[in-house]
Amino acid sequence: MKQLIGKWGKGLGIYLVIMILFPFVMPDEYYRSVGIIIGLHAIVSIGLCLVMGLAGQVSLGQAAFWGIGAYTSAVLTTEFGLTPLLGLIASAIVPALFAFILGRAIAGLQGYYLAMATLAFGYIVQIGISEWEPVTGGANGMISIPKIGFFGDSELSMYYLIWGIVTCVLLFSLNLMHSRVGRAFRAIHKSEIAATSMGIDVRKFKLNAFVVSGMFAGVSGGLYAHYMGILDPQPFGMHESTKFLTMVVVGGMTSIWGALIGALLIGFISEGLVLLSEVVPGLQGDVDTIVFGAILVLIIMFMPEGLVPRVRSMYERGRTKKAAAQTGQRMERKAAS
Amino acid sequence: MTALLEVQQLTRDFGGVRAVNSVDFQVQQGEILALIGPNGAGKSTVLNMVSGVIPPSKGEIRFGSQTMTRVPGYEYAKIGITRTFQNLQTFDDMTVLENVMVGMHTKTGSSLFSCGMSLASARREERLMQERAREWLERVGLSALSSAQAGSLPYGKLRLMEIARAMVAEPRLLLLDEPAAGLNHTETAEMSLMFQQIRQSGTAILLVEHDMDMIMTIADRIVVLDQGSKIAEGTPREIQENPRVIAAYLGGEEQEDSRG
Repeated sequence: MKQLIGKWGKGLGIYLVIMILFPFVMPDEYYRSVGIIIGLHAIVSIGLCLVMGLAGQVSLGQAAFWGIGAYTSAVLTTEFGLTPLLGLIASAIVPALFAFILGRAIAGLQGYYLAMATLAFGYIVQIGISEWEPVTGGANGMISIPKIGFFGDSELSMYYLIWGIVTCVLLFSLNLMHSRVGRAFRAIHKSEIAATSMGIDVRKFKLNAFVVSGMFAGVSGGLYAHYMGILDPQPFGMHESTKFLTMVVVGGMTSIWGALIGALLIGFISEGLVLLSEVVPGLQGDVDTIVFGAILVLIIMFMPEGLVPRVRSMYERGRTKKAAAQTGQRMERKAAS
Repeated sequence: MTALLEVQQLTRDFGGVRAVNSVDFQVQQGEILALIGPNGAGKSTVLNMVSGVIPPSKGEIRFGSQTMTRVPGYEYAKIGITRTFQNLQTFDDMTVLENVMVGMHTKTGSSLFSCGMSLASARREERLMQERAREWLERVGLSALSSAQAGSLPYGKLRLMEIARAMVAEPRLLLLDEPAAGLNHTETAEMSLMFQQIRQSGTAILLVEHDMDMIMTIADRIVVLDQGSKIAEGTPREIQENPRVIAAYLGGEEQEDSRG
C-alpha cells in the first residue's frame, strides 16, 4: 500500500487532505450531499477517461451503464431482498456484462460510428428502464430502496464511503495508466498499426477498457440508488452522458486526475447555477445544459488538451525556463570570475 | 537449411492495380536481405504483408515452419517478427522509455487487474520492462533522452527509438522500412554498424532502403523489385552489375524489353 501511494506523491497527498477535511470545512449536511454526488460522478468520469482518454474511444452512453448499475442494485434489494452489499456487487457485474456485449458488437467501429452506437445504446437503455414497468416502476420510478447499513447511513459516513471508493478507483486507474495494460491503451490511441505490430490485440484491449468503464459507472450507479433511496429514469439519459463527457474533456482526456478535477468543476458549476437561479429570475429549467454545452465548445476551441495537461505543461515549461536561466547565470558568473 | 522466412508468389492488388506481382524470396537465419527498387515498386507493400499489416491477395508467407497468411497481425511480434515504419509510428505522448517498454508487450503478461492493483507480479514485470528498455536505449544511444516526451525528439532519434522498440521484443526477424531516410551521413554509418551488430546477435533483417551506400555495405543479398515484380536477386556486387537493374533505375530501353 505504501508503494501504491508513494508513487503518486504530492498530488495524492493534497487530494487526501482536501477529501478528508471537506466535510468539516463545510459542516453543512447540504454540502456533504453535494460532495457525495460529485464523488459518484467522479467514479464515472474516471472510468470514462480510461476508455476515452487512454484507449481513444468516444462513449456517449456512459449514463446508461450508470442507470443499469442503479436499477440492478435497486431491484435486487427491494424486490428480491438482497443486502445492499450484494446488490452493489451485482451493480458492478451486470453493467460490465452489458459493456462486454455492446463492446463486442461495436468492436470494429471508430470515431463517429462508435459515438452514434453508444448514443443509441444510451437511448435504448433509458427507454427500456421507462417501459419495463413491472420491474423498474417505469416513469414513476422506485421508492424505499434500502440505505447502505454496513457503513452507517448518516450523510457523513456515506461521504467517506463514497470518497473511499473514489480513492480506490483513482489509485487503480493511475496504476493502470502507468503499466503494461495502460501503455497498451495509450499505444492504441496513438497508432493502432504500431500497437498491433508490438503484439497488442487492439480489439481485446479496447473491449477491456470499455468493460472497466462500464463497471465503474455501474458501481457508482448502485451507490447512487442506495444513497438516494428513490430512482426514476430521468437522470440516466443523454443529458447526464453529456455531463460526464464534459467532465472528462474539461479536465483533460489524457489525465486521470483531469477526470477527477473535471467532475469537481462541473459539480461546483452546477451548484453555482442552483444558487444563482434563486437570485436571478428566469434561470430555472435546463440552464445547466446550455452552460455545459458552452463550456464543452469553448474548451474544444481554446484548450483541446484540457485543464490538467495544460497546467502541467505550463508548469513544466516554467521550470525548464527557470533551470535554463539558472544555468545561464552560473555560466555568466563563471565567465566573469 | 530451411529459410527463416519464405515468401512464395506473393501478390497484392489495390482495387484494379497489382502493386505486388507474384514475388518469391527467402530470408536465411542471421542474414541481412535488402529489398530495393524505384519508387512505387511495391517494396513497402511487401513489408506490410510480411509484417501482417495487410493480408496478401495471393501467395504464401512462411516463417520457420509456420504459415503466416492467416495469422492475425498482433500475433506476429510473439512469433518473432517486429518492424519499424517508414513514416514513423511513435507514441508521442509517452516518454522515450515508455515507447520502448511497449515493445515488451509480448514478453510480459500482467492482466488489467494485476496492473491496476499494482500486484507484486505486475511490479516485477514493470521493472523487467524498464531494465530491458534501458538496455536497448543504451545500445541505440538514447539513454540520455529516456525520460523525454517522444513527441519532442527530432526525426533521426525517433528512428533509433523505433529500432529499440522493435528489438526489445527479441525478434528472430526485424523488418526495417527505410531506416536511413532523413538521416545524415554519420547517422547512417552509425546505423549500419548497429544493424551488423544486430545480425551478429542472431536476428535476421529484411530492410527496404534507398540509401545505396548503406545497402552495399551491410546487405548479404539484395532483391530488386520493379513495378511489383522481382527483376533480380543476388549479392551487392551482382546487383550492381545487373543490366536489368541498371535499366530499371535509369528507365532505359532494356526495361521495356524485359517486360515484353
